Amino acid sequence: MAAATEEQPASTGSVPRVEEVEKVHETTEGERLERDDDDDEILRFMDSVDGYLLLMDSLSSALRQGWLDLASARHSMGTSRVSSTLFDHKEQSAATKLQVIDSADMQSSEPNPHFVLSKWHLEEKPSSNDSVSAQDTKPTLRFRGSATTPEDGSHQSDAALAESLAGVDTSSHVQRARSKALSVYGALVSPKLRTAQISFETALEVIVELANSRSNMLASFSQIKDE
Amino acid sequence: MAGRPSIPTINSALIAIIADEDTVTGFLLAGVGNVDLRKKTNYLIIDNKTTVKQIEDAFKEFTTREDIAIVLISQYVANMIRFLVDSYNRPVPAILEIPSKDHPYDPAHDSVLSRVKYLFSAESVASDRR
Repeated sequence: MAAATEEQPASTGSVPRVEEVEKVHETTEGERLERDDDDDEILRFMDSVDGYLLLMDSLSSALRQGWLDLASARHSMGTSRVSSTLFDHKEQSAATKLQVIDSADMQSSEPNPHFVLSKWHLEEKPSSNDSVSAQDTKPTLRFRGSATTPEDGSHQSDAALAESLAGVDTSSHVQRARSKALSVYGALVSPKLRTAQISFETALEVIVELANSRSNMLASFSQIKDE
Repeated sequence: MAGRPSIPTINSALIAIIADEDTVTGFLLAGVGNVDLRKKTNYLIIDNKTTVKQIEDAFKEFTTREDIAIVLISQYVANMIRFLVDSYNRPVPAILEIPSKDHPYDPAHDSVLSRVKYLFSAESVASDRR
């Protein structure tokens, strides 16, 4: 009985204390979540800086390979045949372009553009589910014959054939575009010039990744600075 | 956030280049070269006769053109116009400092890393890597 009566005042007095404790918990929980968000942003920033530096190393390698191949081509073809004096100054549109999209990161006060590379401007390509990524895929992506499972029979092989033909068309278009870029240096060019072209195309892909990494880094940085 | 400036979508933007002859030649092989009706190109070849004023004018032109999304500039060229490059802070076109044959990339001079370096310790990432 005494224990019961003793318990009663304790139970009525504990209600405000429970509410206070709950408030403290909520505040602590809110602060913890905020700290977690800050930590996430800092980690994202550090990742983007690390990614930027790694991509720069990758770009340096691709460019070095390109310069070496260019020097080899110049050595075999002659200095006068691989020179800036041969550049065509007639009106011409770039075959390799970019698409710029606002990534709409509402958390950041800094604009965050996203860049997508469109190599050799494949305008004839039919619209797919993601036309941007279709333009961004490597042109050598091809499906050969009945590599898929035979469960769907002819339907699957027809789809594979259509994709193969599209791939061939894409590939031949890209080859034509590449040859046109090389034709500035004559009809017959050194194979090293072709490999230099590929190296610089690789460098372009890395450059677009670098640009995206730069955007992410600056967006994270502004987010951290604002907090 | 409210008031965050938005970036207009550009569907076919160009890459501008301010670099030495071999670098420009290589990127032109990759299909980046553009010449408009007024015979204006999206590249500037730097040699020993190029003046700082010409580099500054080209940089200002490329960064104000609406059809250019990325400006590639060799880092040793960027060092000649460092004040101009470091004071540039627009998101588009993006300025990327690239290495050249005779001048490897130095993170300590990169304008983007310079902007964010105060978040790192006094011994910066660049000095640790070196």
